[in-house]
Amino acid sequence: MTYLFKRLSLLLLTLLLISVVTFVLTKILPGDVAIMILGTRSHPETLTALRQELGLNDPLVVQYGRWIGDLLQGDWGTSLRFKEPIAKLLGQKILASGVIVVLSLLIALSLAIPLGVVGAVRQNRWQDTVSSSTALLGISLPDFFWGMVLILLFSRWLGLLPSSGFVSPLENLWLSIKHALLPAIALGLSLMAHLTRMTRSAMLEVLSQDYIRVSRSKGLGERMVVYKHALRNAIAPVITVAGLQLGYLFGSIIVVESLFNYTGVGWLTYQALLNRDIPLIQATVFVIATVFMLSNLVVDLVYKVLDPRISFE
Amino acid sequence: MATESFSPQTAASTGLGSEQRVRRRLLRMFRTPKGLIGLSLVVLFSLTAILSPLFIQEALSTKINVTARLAPPSPSHPLGTDQLGRELSYRVLLGARTSLMVAVLAVALSIVLGLPLGVLSGYFKGWTDLSLMRLVDTLLSFPVLLLALSISAILGPSVRNATVAIGIAFAPYLSRIVRSETLKVSSLPYIEAARAQGASDLRIITRAILPNILAPVMVQATISVAFAILAEAGLSFLGLGTQPPTPSWGLMIQASRDYLDVAPWTALVPGTAVALSVLGLNMLGDVLRDVLDPTFIFESAGAQ
Repeated sequence: MTYLFKRLSLLLLTLLLISVVTFVLTKILPGDVAIMILGTRSHPETLTALRQELGLNDPLVVQYGRWIGDLLQGDWGTSLRFKEPIAKLLGQKILASGVIVVLSLLIALSLAIPLGVVGAVRQNRWQDTVSSSTALLGISLPDFFWGMVLILLFSRWLGLLPSSGFVSPLENLWLSIKHALLPAIALGLSLMAHLTRMTRSAMLEVLSQDYIRVSRSKGLGERMVVYKHALRNAIAPVITVAGLQLGYLFGSIIVVESLFNYTGVGWLTYQALLNRDIPLIQATVFVIATVFMLSNLVVDLVYKVLDPRISFE
Repeated sequence: MATESFSPQTAASTGLGSEQRVRRRLLRMFRTPKGLIGLSLVVLFSLTAILSPLFIQEALSTKINVTARLAPPSPSHPLGTDQLGRELSYRVLLGARTSLMVAVLAVALSIVLGLPLGVLSGYFKGWTDLSLMRLVDTLLSFPVLLLALSISAILGPSVRNATVAIGIAFAPYLSRIVRSETLKVSSLPYIEAARAQGASDLRIITRAILPNILAPVMVQATISVAFAILAEAGLSFLGLGTQPPTPSWGLMIQASRDYLDVAPWTALVPGTAVALSVLGLNMLGDVLRDVLDPTFIFESAGAQ
């Protein structure tokens, strides 16, 4: 309980720092919101008036205070590009991204663990070569390239799955999954590759330990030894790596969602960046960083459940 | 590096390895298939990046030829042409320079930013460490690509800004590794010995700590270059990195998007180039890490 309390107070501090970094990042870099709204050829007096109205002449600390205050009250400002309240825009997109993130995690884990286990059990044989090469190839090609290969294969040639768009799972679950499948695979491939490598090395380490020899010599079946006794102890570091790699995943959704025209948070972030829509950039960057941090907390808690030897006190 | 510095006396127990031992392991490692392939790919990539601009004029790669649009690979167009009839062979060769330049400069920048941060917090510990690492941890809460994309978008897309953006985004990762290595090294007896001799902090850091954390930093740098190539490709793919008509692998893949079914080679050529260079760097990174890890036992029978 003390641990959870400590974690939560640290979380609040980190959240505060994330908001400061997000704000400073968009403020110290060149770029004038007033010019972005009115255009470069607008009258200097109108610009000055708008800057005054938006409070852009106030000291940075005051501006930050106003931004974070509004944020906490649910007023996330208005997007310059979409001319809509940002809170509303984000609310619609979070569900879409949630679908592909969960789906890609499932795909990555369900492929990586068997591949990694096979690589370790059949070390230095052809099965290991296949598993290790798949993993190396997975981390060596950009996700958008995989995405294009998937579009070509499953959408253009085989005509099985749509290559763009998003359908809400609340409207039509089957159609929603069909739309999310290709982006989720493209997103999950590099995660899968990293996890396969981690599973293999963790399994190799566990399999060389004494208790595994004991299990084998007392006559347990190989399947039981590998999957029950070894895998259970090898899985904890794999989950840690999965947590670290989530950061990569949350970066990749920007590229993958744009490629598939999948209107989630990543797509929204891209639109914001492309149009230098500062208020929307601030909001999306803040949301992605927050979700990433929260998911790291979840990973730590899962880790504790999986490995009771870990104590955080 | 060893002659001028306070070298650890017991290589095996400190896990650092003497220079000679590392060299012997390195030679052995490069005789394994993985080491050999990795090294060859990296050498090939670097040579292409350095030499091709000397032999191929930039203008050749941007020359538009409407009569030969989307031509498949053939003797007159070795790797085919793109939607504007530009030779893919020239573009992919010159693209290597963009990739290598952005990746190496970005990683160099991340070392310039991250190394002092990490060394200072690992060496001085206490409040310096606490405050610096709070900052680093906050930056780590931002996914690398998100940070790089945002910085590049706000600075305005260009090759230079993409390099700066990737460099800044990588720095917190590097400083984390440098910090933990510095912590490990600075608790060793020879640092205490140096201090007892009256060496200043600056002298201890430059003579005793830096030379001994160099190896893990090099491993991280190798892997980071691979990741920076992917990041540059990603940024350019989204139009927030290298700008046309400069040849860049990410841009070439982006341009091929609309011609996938009619001209798949326009995507395959730059895709293969990215894959081979990143694969090589990853393999080399793996091998270097194994060499520097004294507990690692060679698996391959051919290497015995």
